[in-house]
Amino acid sequence: MSELLVIIQIAGRRCALTAHDVKSVIEIGAITPVPRAPDFIAGITALRSQTLTVIDCRRALGFGAQDAPTDGRAAVVASGGHSYALLVDAIEDITTATGAAGQVPGGFGPEWSRVARGMIETMAGPALLIDLAALIAGPEAARAESEAAA
Amino acid sequence: MDDLLADFIAETREMLEASGGEIVAWEADPDDRARIDAIFRFVHTVKGNCGFFDFPRLAALSHAAEDALADCRAGRREPNRALVSAVLAIIDRIAAMVDAIEAGEDFPEADDAALIAALDAAPEAADAAANPRHPPASVLVERGEDGGGWATRRSDSFSAQRTIRLPVELLDRVMSGVSDMVLARNDLAHRLRQAGNQPTIDGPFERLSAILAGVRDAITRMRMQRIETLFGALPRLVRDLSAELGKQVMVDLDGGDVELDREMIETIRDPLTHLIRNAIDHGIEAPAARLAAGKREIGLLAIAARQSGNTIAIVIRDDGRGLDEERIAAKAIATGLITPAERAAMSRDKLVNLIFEPGFSTAEAVSAVSGRGVGLDVVRQNLEKVGGSIKVSSVPGEGTQFTLQIPLTLSIIAGLTVEVGTQRFAIPQGYIEEIVQASPAALELTRMGESALITFRGKRIRCLMLAEVLGIAGSDAHGDLTLVLLRLASGDLFALVVERIHSHGDLVVKPLAPAVMKSGLYAGSTLLDDGQPVLLLDVTNIAALHELVADGRSRVLERQDEDAAGPLAAAPRAMLFTDFAGRRMAVRLELVQRIETAVAAAIDRSAPRPRVVIDGRILPLVGLPDTPLIADKLRLLRLGDGTCELLYAVRTVEDAVELTEALVAVPEDPLIEAMTLVGGQPVALIDAHELFARHGEAPLPAHRPRCALPDSDWARTILAPLVTAAGYDIVACDSTESDVVTILPEDVFEAAAALGRMPAGPVIRLRDHPDAGGSKDTIYRYDRDGLLAALAAARQGRLAGGLRP
Repeated sequence: MSELLVIIQIAGRRCALTAHDVKSVIEIGAITPVPRAPDFIAGITALRSQTLTVIDCRRALGFGAQDAPTDGRAAVVASGGHSYALLVDAIEDITTATGAAGQVPGGFGPEWSRVARGMIETMAGPALLIDLAALIAGPEAARAESEAAA
Repeated sequence: MDDLLADFIAETREMLEASGGEIVAWEADPDDRARIDAIFRFVHTVKGNCGFFDFPRLAALSHAAEDALADCRAGRREPNRALVSAVLAIIDRIAAMVDAIEAGEDFPEADDAALIAALDAAPEAADAAANPRHPPASVLVERGEDGGGWATRRSDSFSAQRTIRLPVELLDRVMSGVSDMVLARNDLAHRLRQAGNQPTIDGPFERLSAILAGVRDAITRMRMQRIETLFGALPRLVRDLSAELGKQVMVDLDGGDVELDREMIETIRDPLTHLIRNAIDHGIEAPAARLAAGKREIGLLAIAARQSGNTIAIVIRDDGRGLDEERIAAKAIATGLITPAERAAMSRDKLVNLIFEPGFSTAEAVSAVSGRGVGLDVVRQNLEKVGGSIKVSSVPGEGTQFTLQIPLTLSIIAGLTVEVGTQRFAIPQGYIEEIVQASPAALELTRMGESALITFRGKRIRCLMLAEVLGIAGSDAHGDLTLVLLRLASGDLFALVVERIHSHGDLVVKPLAPAVMKSGLYAGSTLLDDGQPVLLLDVTNIAALHELVADGRSRVLERQDEDAAGPLAAAPRAMLFTDFAGRRMAVRLELVQRIETAVAAAIDRSAPRPRVVIDGRILPLVGLPDTPLIADKLRLLRLGDGTCELLYAVRTVEDAVELTEALVAVPEDPLIEAMTLVGGQPVALIDAHELFARHGEAPLPAHRPRCALPDSDWARTILAPLVTAAGYDIVACDSTESDVVTILPEDVFEAAAALGRMPAGPVIRLRDHPDAGGSKDTIYRYDRDGLLAALAAARQGRLAGGLRP
């Protein structure tokens, strides 16, 4: 298992994205806000001739906005034919996985469980492997699912 | 014509190629329903296309094959090898004929009738295992020849092709590459400027820029085509079809400048043609039937295209008889599409959309033009294949409207950028009717509850504040308003208040992420020249969110707008106003003839009842305040009950509204018919009966009484005006009719009496002196009151003989 991973920080936690999903890492420029969109969508921004939807990962997890320091960089990912820029606390490193994703006893907590594919051991230590589609769907999707299940 | 013909040939050949496999498979298994359907569609389309080219032989062949296949589809006939062969022979003949048409040659006389007869003969020959006339279909298709002995010219014509086909994805890649190049160039230009003038680099850079602009232009054109190229053929098609069907149809095309992918144009060509055929054949009635239904003899077919981000809406509307709900229901139940229980729970809207189900058709007669309902299921299938949709709405007796939504993978549209708050947004040019800048007062901007209205060119138009729609803080509105008037594909008009207008320009629209699309406000995003992304507003959806679209009854044209506003409106409509006592009142809209503005000088308040002069007529006026008027102008509602009119003075006229809330009777105030709620506020509805009974002027009788005057200057100049003012018409003095009042000087009367030539009707005798003297029955000629009393009495018949000797 030598999958390449991009190690990022969201809300102070170390997370991992599969490097295959990450198209590039950009310095985030001006963000055009989108009125009446869910609040985890920070807005849209331009990357060359492409438009990226900027996702505020803290809010996408369901955490409130804290003025956490960010390094001004975002991971560009593609999901469902659309491109997104993930606004994270920091982008740390690229590393290789040393094992498969697994669960931890007691889970990761309600916010994290929704977007976590599991804990993964890497060369740089353990990280939470993120399910990109679930992260991009935002907290509303989770709520709707639980309501539908109820 | 040449273009159309080339299209027809290309399309037919393409379908022949596509159906090659189907034909082989069908021959292997004649019972395969899916194959029959596919081949059926092919001959059906050929038949339809022949309808507007003059190819009688092709039409006859395809019609015959279609009939035979329709029997198979309906289960009236078992397909067998003989039938397969006969159909294949016809398809081959069609291919050969198409080749001949393209080469511009006359097709050699051949025995089409024999081919057609082979279809009918097929059942009898069913057991003939090998058909001697034909080699197997696979051979026919591959070699392009048949047993008839004439070779096709296919190989020749293929070499003559001047176009190539490319996968659209490749074009997409080239296109986005060029867009990136433009942005890279902009970046480079920026850096060059920073580095200062460098003649050795600037020259080549300019050249690069020019070349890039040219390439971008060409790439854009490569994919895009105006929908006009599709619309261009429609008037002719409509004309020919309507002539063939004995109908009169006028076609109204709008939005021809909308550009879309060539591929999309090809995809919607057939569906559009099918829908137009259907509308003319089944929708629009024959001229006599239209006249009988109180419609204009000429049917109207309106086709409008509008672009909204990455969808294009095409609306096809006819003003024909509408869809027959009951027949659709009966057919749907009969064919097992729905159960009677489902039917009972179904709305009309849902029910009429069943016409897109496979194998559905309500047309009882099969005609050469539209056929057996193969159209609509194929239409939907083709649209869904490209991610589009179609729906129908219909009002019985008024018409049917098909709305096609077609997605655009990529599109360039003309758009307008506007600003609100500190942010820019784009609006597709296609919706924009007009841009208006004026003061709120000039536009009569009024807030009605939560919504706002403006008056523009005499029409009240719903008005949305973009800042409110988007929920962003706009800068405080002061001074003039900037309005963008938008017209939807359905014909509805509304105004959008923005803060600033920026620029027009071509926008490359990119789709947005689903989470953003969910807000329903945006159709896509685009990049401005400076690389800043802006959101493209979804005008149709914004209108729908604010309930500005009259769906199902939406109008494509103004004229229909007026029709619909008439007796069809179920709720009573009323004119809302505030009277001088400050009360909000309403009067039924049917009574309101007009809104007048009168100058205070035209109002006469000397008599117990105020009157006002309007259009040279003196009319009663009600609703005035008891205090003297301050304003020098007055708004008046001119009310009429058909024969008499009166004016109602109001402080402000608000709007025409529908009274949808319950009317609560108010017995204690006879002048009020009822109280109701409009926009949550109480409103008193005026009792028109009481109003006219109290204040209406008695209508003028159809025949005014007549009066004969003495033949003298005095009578003509002094007496005649008085008599006319009393309501009489002046007639010649020698009238012998008994209903004519005659006024005679005393001496003339006596002479007439002596001669026995008394007038037949009542007589008023005048004397020259104030003193009555001996004759009590005479009136002094300047006794105004006496004269008027006598004339009034004569009018009521009380004078008859009363003043006679």
